[in-house]
Amino acid sequence: MLWLYLHFPHLLLDHIQRNQESMGALAILDSARQCIVQACPTAQNLGIETGMRLKTALALAPDLNTLQAEPKQEAWLLEDQARWLYHFAAHITLVPPDGLCAEVSSLQKLYGGLSAIWQTIEQALTERRLTAWIAVGHTPLAARLLAQTGKGECSADKAHLLTALGKLPLLSAGFDKKSCTRLQRLGLNSLGEVFTLPAPELARRLSPELLARVQKIEGTRSDPQAPWQPPHIFRQRADFIQEVEHTQGLFFSLQRILAELEEDLCWRQQDTDTLLLTLQHRHEEATRLRIRTTGPEHRAEAFLKLIRLKLDQQPLKAPVTALIFTVKQFTDREVPIGQDLLGETADLDEAWHTLISRLQARLGEQALRQFSLKEDYRPECAWFAKEVLKPGQKQEKAPASLPHRPIWLLKCPKPLTQIPVAWLSGPERISGGWWDGQRVHRDYYIAQLPGGELAWVFRNHQDGWFIHGWFG
Amino acid sequence: MTTGYAELFCFSNFTFLTGASHPHELAERALELGYSAIAVTDACSVAGIPRAWAALKGSPLKLITGSWFELDDTPVGSATPRFILLAQNRKGYGQLCRLITTGRRRAEKGKYNLFARDIESHELDHCFCLWLPPSETKANSEQARACGEWLLRLFEQRLRIAANRTLEAGEEKQLERVRWLSEHLHCPIVATGEVHMHSRERQPLQDVLTALRHHKTLETAGHYLFQNGERYLRPIPVLQRLFPESWLQETVRIANNCQFEPGSLRYEYPSDLVPADKTPGAHLRHLTREGERRRYPEGTPMNVQALIRKELELISELQYEHYFLTIHDIVNFARSKGILCQGRGSAANSAVCYCLGITEVNPARVELLFERFISKDRDEPPDIDVDFEHHRREEVIQYIYQRYGRERAALAATVIRYRPRSAIRDVGKTLGFDAALVEKLLDGIDWQDNAINWRQQILDRGLTRNPKIADQFFTLVNTLLGFPRHLSQHVGGFVISAGPLSELVPVENAAMKDRTVIQWDKDDLESLGLMKVDILALGMLTAIRKALELISKEKGIAFTMQDIPQEDPATYSMLQKGDSIGVFQVESRAQINMLPRLKPETYYDLVIEVAIVRPGPIQGDMVHPYLRRKHGLEPVEYPNDAIRQVLERTLGVPIFQEQVIKLAMVAAGFSAGEADKLRRAMAAWKSDGDLTPFRDKLITGMLKRGYAPDFSERLYQQVCGFGGYGFPESHAASFALLVYVSAWIKRHHPSAFYCALLNSQPMGFYSPSQLVQDARRHDVTTLPPDVNYSQWDHTLEGPKRHLRLGLRIIQGLSSTGGQRIHKKRPKHGYRSASELRTVANLDQRDMELLAGANAMPGFTTNRHQAYWQLLEHEEPTELFAQEAQADYQPHTCDLLPTPTEGQNIFADYSSQGLTLIKHPLALLREQGHLHHCLTAEQLKHSRAGIPVQVAGLVTGRQRPGSASGTTFVTLEDETGNINIVVWLATARQQRKPLLTARLLHVKGVIEKQGEIVHVMAGKLSDLSHLIRSLPVSSRNFH
Repeated sequence: MLWLYLHFPHLLLDHIQRNQESMGALAILDSARQCIVQACPTAQNLGIETGMRLKTALALAPDLNTLQAEPKQEAWLLEDQARWLYHFAAHITLVPPDGLCAEVSSLQKLYGGLSAIWQTIEQALTERRLTAWIAVGHTPLAARLLAQTGKGECSADKAHLLTALGKLPLLSAGFDKKSCTRLQRLGLNSLGEVFTLPAPELARRLSPELLARVQKIEGTRSDPQAPWQPPHIFRQRADFIQEVEHTQGLFFSLQRILAELEEDLCWRQQDTDTLLLTLQHRHEEATRLRIRTTGPEHRAEAFLKLIRLKLDQQPLKAPVTALIFTVKQFTDREVPIGQDLLGETADLDEAWHTLISRLQARLGEQALRQFSLKEDYRPECAWFAKEVLKPGQKQEKAPASLPHRPIWLLKCPKPLTQIPVAWLSGPERISGGWWDGQRVHRDYYIAQLPGGELAWVFRNHQDGWFIHGWFG
Repeated sequence: MTTGYAELFCFSNFTFLTGASHPHELAERALELGYSAIAVTDACSVAGIPRAWAALKGSPLKLITGSWFELDDTPVGSATPRFILLAQNRKGYGQLCRLITTGRRRAEKGKYNLFARDIESHELDHCFCLWLPPSETKANSEQARACGEWLLRLFEQRLRIAANRTLEAGEEKQLERVRWLSEHLHCPIVATGEVHMHSRERQPLQDVLTALRHHKTLETAGHYLFQNGERYLRPIPVLQRLFPESWLQETVRIANNCQFEPGSLRYEYPSDLVPADKTPGAHLRHLTREGERRRYPEGTPMNVQALIRKELELISELQYEHYFLTIHDIVNFARSKGILCQGRGSAANSAVCYCLGITEVNPARVELLFERFISKDRDEPPDIDVDFEHHRREEVIQYIYQRYGRERAALAATVIRYRPRSAIRDVGKTLGFDAALVEKLLDGIDWQDNAINWRQQILDRGLTRNPKIADQFFTLVNTLLGFPRHLSQHVGGFVISAGPLSELVPVENAAMKDRTVIQWDKDDLESLGLMKVDILALGMLTAIRKALELISKEKGIAFTMQDIPQEDPATYSMLQKGDSIGVFQVESRAQINMLPRLKPETYYDLVIEVAIVRPGPIQGDMVHPYLRRKHGLEPVEYPNDAIRQVLERTLGVPIFQEQVIKLAMVAAGFSAGEADKLRRAMAAWKSDGDLTPFRDKLITGMLKRGYAPDFSERLYQQVCGFGGYGFPESHAASFALLVYVSAWIKRHHPSAFYCALLNSQPMGFYSPSQLVQDARRHDVTTLPPDVNYSQWDHTLEGPKRHLRLGLRIIQGLSSTGGQRIHKKRPKHGYRSASELRTVANLDQRDMELLAGANAMPGFTTNRHQAYWQLLEHEEPTELFAQEAQADYQPHTCDLLPTPTEGQNIFADYSSQGLTLIKHPLALLREQGHLHHCLTAEQLKHSRAGIPVQVAGLVTGRQRPGSASGTTFVTLEDETGNINIVVWLATARQQRKPLLTARLLHVKGVIEKQGEIVHVMAGKLSDLSHLIRSLPVSSRNFH
């Protein structure tokens, strides 16, 4: 058996960088924002290394861009890579967080030799703008160790592979820390020196687990690999280290994603009619877009046109920090479709959604809004028009007590021109909002105007009087 | 007629993340507004009282002590009671403190829990209760009335209903309820302001604090914030418009009935220490006389006798006998246990303290010091800090707890305050700045720069491009700076009282288990005139005690600190060469460089040496004038005799904090009280103080007295330079004694010196590796750890006093296992690993560590083989173990490599942090890696100004604030240390090697000043790859 191993030394970085053109030194931080977990080549040239403290890294490169790692995202990314590799090889295994292993001996005939496979994979990597260290090994572990140390060669010769493995330093062999310390204390520095020790001694003096690992590297013990099954979903994500402010900025990544979708659909022999696009913003709620085609589709070009249309209609409400692209519904190419969706589904959610999307399509997204409360003392900020809720989503809870407020709040306060005949309550002083540049400082009263209307009036700090609303 | 007003409900910023003004700001503003009284009522706390009190000292405004409470449960059928308690008198204050203590001791640090039953069971009959009835949304009127009735039962005619006018929605209904309750309960209404800040301008900060408290941003805080900024100290006319006359009058009536005055808290010292038939004064005299006989067996010199008489008179006049007796008792305990200790501080260097054994500084040697003994006109308690051996301080603390009980002894608090970093982080958070961005901004900011500069640094790093937001941000940060965040425990300041402490000041839990702190810090205690005893830990005392024991053993008779000959020329000549690694206080790089320049010849020179290498004198530019004058290169002049008196002993240059204060009095006419304020302002200058108010006073005062303008300006600059960094002479005198003692030991008993230092680790400036290298350079033969010779501690071996490293040098070895190796060692020594394992009953981990340290050279070929043998270990059966262990012959494994010299060095470092084989640099030099590199030793003999190359392990990187961006790097090679100076521009261009290299190669130019050699760095290269993972740690200071 022969195994091919792909080690992605900085998958997160590649992921960022293929969505946005170069932006100087970049490093990924651990979840506590303390240490560097990945550094791009530019950063490495400045002396930044994995495991370094952020403080030190910033001292070396004051302009370093940083991004925090999310374990979940790493897992997704690895799965993304598995998906395309699956197009080439049927038996692959995921080695989180950064490795993929594929069985290739059975493919040699198909591709015409090992070097052809190697080239195919390398080309696929280049197309995807990914960095991976590749190695071939006679066991999965051998391939993995060689790949992780960047010592991979396109060779199937076992003796050659064993020599290369023997030269690996002890610390690269992936032994547990305790065993590593012990081996070092015995004066051993390379994997080759460990190979020379008799197996029973290894098991007795170090540990049976260590022996097992050595044998799995050497190939004298079997190391079965459970094959990975691709999930039936297409999901891609792009993170932007510099926020994208215009729709145009999204198309660079969208084009790439759609190309990969097309490739994926072709390979699946399937189509789709629903794309889900989520745009994330720093402070505001994410924008969720659902793009439906008129019929089953697989061409990137067609999808792109639709998305462009949708985004033209709806300008970005805030700069975008990340984009998530998902396809969950697939249809087989053979199955004829064309039935009316409303008639077809009895699901109320779906019907509601279809209604809303149709209304929105007809009137424009902006036209449809839902009323919602916001905790803010400033009357004009105490409510807002929210995106329409889907029926399944939970309604927000109303606050326990609401202050006495008029039913009709004027969009803009208008000057009070008549002298009220009666003052019914007040003053109620509202002062706040200094943090967002819309500071108010007002004393509110309920007053009866000569015409008998009950008005909600206020005096601002410059002694101007205004009507802000009407009571019924 | 005009009605007065007393504000009875104020949160200061000691109600953390709630109050937005300092207590003194509240007090000062209330005074300005013409209030007749102000109560500071923090949540279950009186922590803000002393500060408000200090601000109001001598003013007509009355301060009322109170506290705010919200209970954790509800009396049956009613609402959660929320109320304020105000102390009517000393007794009421004690009751309040007790209740606070109960609530605080029961909860985790920083919180409190009180229940209805606590209010029922605590005596509170000398407190007013101001009740804040629940709002309509919280309770219905029946529940509200039930709550009122419950309180009425407990407080009777001392209950009032508090009414607020904050002009918020729903206020009318609340006032209606207040009136209704007042009618039903026949209870008067009193106006309150629910004050959270002294001025309306603090509203933004108050909003920020509220958002922080609820972990929200301002954007999302919503109704957690207040609707407006009305919770401030409002002018009386405004209040008159808002409240009925009678409600306002009621505030004054209550204030008139609150008679407690914090200044009346007099410290009652425990009387336990005085025998029943004696007065404290007589007892102190008796103890002093006993001490005299011990100190001066040939009779007390006349001048000392006179001094003692004078001091004792002063002590009894000020009634400080108990204080001295308490410290004497603690020191006595330490002495009985053989714990070395040494007092310092203004009162410590007195003849009485010398006789009582509190200090070893002999008044006959430094008579100059006594003019600054406790003075009558400065109305402040004497200050004595006592240092104890660092490993044994806990014994002393436990003794104090055991002697006085936890009810009567507690640690003073330290108020942890907002610093620039935390303030920026928290304000940034609430303004919604991205947390990662803020962290990034904070990293690498040079905080030693002044405030304007770090503001610019942050802006340069791209916080925001909007100048308005930046202004808002920095205004908030600057106001938040210095705000208290929480109470932590003081390093060693003890308060001991006669009665239960909790009636004097509330006690709360500290973070450390079984530790309690009082709610006041040392400044509060000082301003209230309460005394504390500082019990501090000092590593050097441990080392000195151990060294003296070793010397005693060598000499065969007890050898104590008193037996060390005074003013020994050999000791001074060693110090003059800068040979001071390991010596107390003067071992840092800066001190080592200063010694050859200052050339200390007497004890008093050491006092100056200790104080002069400090940021204060350095920034005040006092070092060079002093050195020039000391070496006769510049005349010593005084403008007049008064100044001569103050500065004569330091040749006209102010070096000590006391001198600066005294100068302000002598030259600028400051009164004793003003000088004291200046001292405090200087101490606080770094964090939040402001010296500008003193500038005018100082300079005009001096001009008026005929001093030249530039002399006046220079003095002011010196005062600023001293801010926070000045070193008091009274402390320097005590430290200098330890400098001399440790230097003498190093000079005359080097083996004992290094052995004791190594046994007292961790302490001091240098790692064991550096100490061992220094020892070997002083011809101390050092032997490696060996299971057949070593004890747990390092020891001196044989008549030649060879230093045998103890097993404790092996990192990770269990101390119990290590001690058993020595205790159970057979007469003939251990003969095999298995014998060692069974006899000393060692576990596998310890055995492996011993093998890794090569500590079994007697019966193993090398460390690899030793380790191989250990790994096959299986538990021997009892029978087999007894007979077979002696003649068991382990077989060697020929597949294992023999360790090379390099491998051995590497293994030594990773197991012990040092090696005795060969310095790694020596090895690299032999192997030809360091062509053209000079050693530290060769540098000394090279000409100044020539270009050189050096290389060494990086053992320190330092960027002192006083050196304008210059980095000092210390390199270590096999012959000593090399000092590298890296200018800012060089550093910026070569960040990578400078910051990351562990083995650094430097091309540069030699510079020499007397015996001090520096290399001015040009090109830096990182050679770390040559030593791979050699574990060498560097002390980095940024």
